[in-house]
Amino acid sequence: MQVQTRPQQKSKLRDAIHWFRVRFFRTRSAKVGWVLILSILILVLIGPFFEPYSPTATAGAYDSPPSLSHPFGTDYLGHDLLSQVIYGAYPSLLVGLVAALGATLFGFVVGVLGGYYKRLEWVLSASTDAILSIPSLPLLILIGIIFVVTNQLIIGGLMLVLWAPAARAVRSQVASIKKLPYVDAARTSGYSDWRIIWQVIVPKVGSIAMAYFVLLVSVSIVLATALEFIGVGNPQIVSWGSILYFAQQYGFFAGDWWWVLAPGLAITVVATGFALIGFSFEEILNPRLRT
Amino acid sequence: MIVFLVVLNLDFFLPRLAPGNAAEILAAGSKVPQQAIILLEQRFGLLKPLYIQYELYLKGIFSWPPDFGISYGYYPDTVTHLFEVRIGWSMILLLSSLAFGIVLAYAVAAASALKRGGRLEAAALNISVLINSTPIFWSAMGLLWIFSIWLGIFPLYGNVDFGVSGAGYVESVAEHALLPVIALGLSIFGESYLLLRGSTLESLKSDYVFAAKSRGLYARLISTKYVLKNSMLPLISVMSFSLASLVSRLVLVEAVFGYPGIGDLIIDAVRLHDFPVIEGSLFYLTVFVIIGGLIGDFILVRLDPRLKL
Repeated sequence: MQVQTRPQQKSKLRDAIHWFRVRFFRTRSAKVGWVLILSILILVLIGPFFEPYSPTATAGAYDSPPSLSHPFGTDYLGHDLLSQVIYGAYPSLLVGLVAALGATLFGFVVGVLGGYYKRLEWVLSASTDAILSIPSLPLLILIGIIFVVTNQLIIGGLMLVLWAPAARAVRSQVASIKKLPYVDAARTSGYSDWRIIWQVIVPKVGSIAMAYFVLLVSVSIVLATALEFIGVGNPQIVSWGSILYFAQQYGFFAGDWWWVLAPGLAITVVATGFALIGFSFEEILNPRLRT
Repeated sequence: MIVFLVVLNLDFFLPRLAPGNAAEILAAGSKVPQQAIILLEQRFGLLKPLYIQYELYLKGIFSWPPDFGISYGYYPDTVTHLFEVRIGWSMILLLSSLAFGIVLAYAVAAASALKRGGRLEAAALNISVLINSTPIFWSAMGLLWIFSIWLGIFPLYGNVDFGVSGAGYVESVAEHALLPVIALGLSIFGESYLLLRGSTLESLKSDYVFAAKSRGLYARLISTKYVLKNSMLPLISVMSFSLASLVSRLVLVEAVFGYPGIGDLIIDAVRLHDFPVIEGSLFYLTVFVIIGGLIGDFILVRLDPRLKL
């Protein structure tokens, strides 16, 4: 017996757009977040066409403060910092997005399985707790000095550390959904476990995973930059973290404040943007937090 | 306990996954003579089969004091001794930042719970979101630049001036610790304010707050005594959970301020490829986080007997 009527393809698309708008655009903080992210994205996407300097070319005087020809100043080798920030955005954003995506997917799978299957719960929640109580920075540093640091390695390391919080949130949600009567109803009407997970539980906890994804992007960009800043990273690649690394090594104590200001500001703007979107998303999911 | 075992094994197997052995990695890119490498290989039994290495490793850790070998960078100091020297300084930083951050968050939350939707609440909310997503090493560098480089009020690095004693010593310690504590404390404030706000909103809607209001109690009394007292519980439980991330931030703050605690030790170890120190630090910091979690649980049970199983 077909109880549900299949919606038309067109309205499905409209549903999806509506779903997206409700979750990502409704609150003011989410809008601010989008503005922040878009402003950086525009700078990064359009910047290379206008920026006359290569990030690795000596473009001007050494250590010069911001001026008209170099709006963010230059570093100790005369690199233009504006173009460094623009080009440095690519590895930083890429690492952040991919690591957050991987961590969320993995955490989602672990969370759903751990919340649904009683037998798996112990193993999965123990490993989640283990990851949660290992300080992530020292662990990543250890990984970073053992292996040759590449973007893939950093992404992998971040995934290893960041899946746990997502898994924990998803698991508790799944465990509470599982107790609801309609899950029992689905089971008594002969749904297999698999089908219950896919058709009943996953659509319910998908939103949480999305919220976590957005928050984790912000976390992983900051964490990846922190690693590079410490010196666990490939200083040859221009990224926000490596700019800060060189700045601290060669310019900061000499008073080159502009060298530190620009990349740090870029990171903060992006991270704040994603965090605002994530928080407003959480607020929509959990209306008690609303002001 | 499980966490402990995981770290124990991670600490052992992770370095062994790398191509070559630790001694060879060390040799590449540093000036350690060939002889020392051979000595190291013997010391850690790196050429022996894996299970014997494992046995040696466990023996080292479960002896007292735990043996993580000798630091390459501070040769011939042992890793454990390096930790003993530096943990105190890190604890000063960590505990005073915790106190500062939580008291600040508590005060702001108490004030803003009085007036829902007020200007203070909005400002505090925005500020704490901003703090939460600002990389702490960047804000720390900002503080350092403003107060130490530009204004020259505070020292540039270190924990205490050389050759002071008595009251001067205490003053010097405080002077050096102030900026790092502000940097770390503000990040704790951002985190715990968001949390306190979440749980405050929930308890504001509860029956006992309604009852208190209808009895005509002062708003101030309600907010501090009824609302926030109950919000302390989730704060403690989340704090003991986020201790791990706090430790990561501590490392970064020490790196920026050149404060000779464990974070600074780790940063030096990265530069010098000082394997044993990093392995040891991961181990000790995790143990520290676990102990912190246990203390948190203990306090929770004392505060709220319902949690006792």
